[in-house]
Amino acid sequence: MKDPYQVLGVPETATDEEIKKAYRDLARKYHPDNYHDNPLADLAQEKMKDINAAYEQITRERGGRGSGNGSYGGSYGAGGTAYQRQQYSSQSSSGSSVLQQVRLAINSGNLSRAEALLANYADHNAEWNFLKGAVCYRRGWMDEAKRYYQTACQLDPGNAEYRSALDFMENAGQTAYRPNGGTFGTEFCGGNPCLTLCCLYTLCNGGGYFFCC
Amino acid sequence: MYGYVRPPLGELPQEERDRFQRAYCGLCHTLGRRYGLAARFILNYDFTYLAILLAEGEEGPTGESRCPASPIRGRSYRQGDGAAALAADESVILAYWQLRDGVADHDWLHGLKYRGVSQILEPAYRKAAQARPGYDEAVRSQLGVLARLETERCPSMDRAADAFAVLLERGADEVDDPVRRRVLGQMLYHLGRWVYLTDAADDLQKDAKTGNYNPVALRFHLWDGQWTPESRREFAETLDHSIRMIATAYELWDFGCWSPILQATIYSGLFQVGKAVLDGTFRPRVRSLERNKQELRDST
Repeated sequence: MKDPYQVLGVPETATDEEIKKAYRDLARKYHPDNYHDNPLADLAQEKMKDINAAYEQITRERGGRGSGNGSYGGSYGAGGTAYQRQQYSSQSSSGSSVLQQVRLAINSGNLSRAEALLANYADHNAEWNFLKGAVCYRRGWMDEAKRYYQTACQLDPGNAEYRSALDFMENAGQTAYRPNGGTFGTEFCGGNPCLTLCCLYTLCNGGGYFFCC
Repeated sequence: MYGYVRPPLGELPQEERDRFQRAYCGLCHTLGRRYGLAARFILNYDFTYLAILLAEGEEGPTGESRCPASPIRGRSYRQGDGAAALAADESVILAYWQLRDGVADHDWLHGLKYRGVSQILEPAYRKAAQARPGYDEAVRSQLGVLARLETERCPSMDRAADAFAVLLERGADEVDDPVRRRVLGQMLYHLGRWVYLTDAADDLQKDAKTGNYNPVALRFHLWDGQWTPESRREFAETLDHSIRMIATAYELWDFGCWSPILQATIYSGLFQVGKAVLDGTFRPRVRSLERNKQELRDST
């Protein structure tokens, strides 16, 4: 059994408020929404379980003082309820059994099989584009993933699943976890006064410039 | 490896800057100890990050000594361990194959400097390849894939970036802990993707002039090397998504004493460098040299 205080990263002397704050920050970090379709989502889910168990244990030990009062309800994303959302349902909207098999292959992490099935499927409908995007995303081919999601949304504008996948890609700046509430995004960061400082240790050669000149 | 991954030193306390310097000097010492003086010249920030990522959470013992770069005043450095040796070996293999790539990419005259340096590095490379045959094979094969894609002028920037990203990802293969291996593999993959795409963006104007292969120009049809607001937004978005994957992976492992450096680099340094590249301010030094050359040409 892990020490619940250690899991939440707070001392045993922490106040209820401090514990709640630490819990909320960790829950935000490891929330299934932050690991949507992420190849490491299972590890995040484990973390989330530990955090929820630790928070529940502490609040129980402290006589329930911290629970329920505006907290995340103690089981934030626990037990896989929220996680379910990122598993593709085996019901595909097109009803094609091949595309259902693609969903199953993606869910089980067998991307090569999913790709092979998609390659042999002639009807490039909205579902096909969406699943193609999902395979690209899991491979880390973010540009192509987004373009397939876009096509899926164009072909079936009313589909909430396709729309949410595209929104996730387009709004990383708003949805991504960042420590201390800073901004997240290349176009959102301020100037770069530090870049000159970064050459402080350029000693033996051109630093990073060795290969590019 | 192009020197784009660097710590935002301005945002780090002195203690962390010193730690980064000890990691940098530590890798240099490990390279020197294992491969001799010549190998120390491959040292750069990217390899330092590789060493930091592969390191255990504790910094371990440090030493202090003078070196060719700091002959009067000694500098403290992180003493090597098994992870440092792995980082040094992989750095030598990467550096060597990138130099060979430089030889292949240039005509005889312009390939001379690459040929010269790669020959100096050859004995170190042979030793490193013997120590890490799997990684040597991975780098060789991935650079082969990349060369083919360049020859074919592959229009998919994801595919081209993937060839380089996998090359870095494989650097985590020898990590024992399966969870740590997955986390590092994911971080290195997207770090590689980010580096490759950032480098292509940085070369847009140069490649527009020379006609060299540039997957970003092909993807967004930037034939004059200039961004349109729409293409720039899309490109920044895809970079951000890789950074998001690096960040979400980073949060799943405890990097111990290296956490402040890594956190600042991931959540701030990469964005700053990416923005500077998009704004065209990343290499004022290189551009100012080019301006001088232009002025010289204009005046004659």
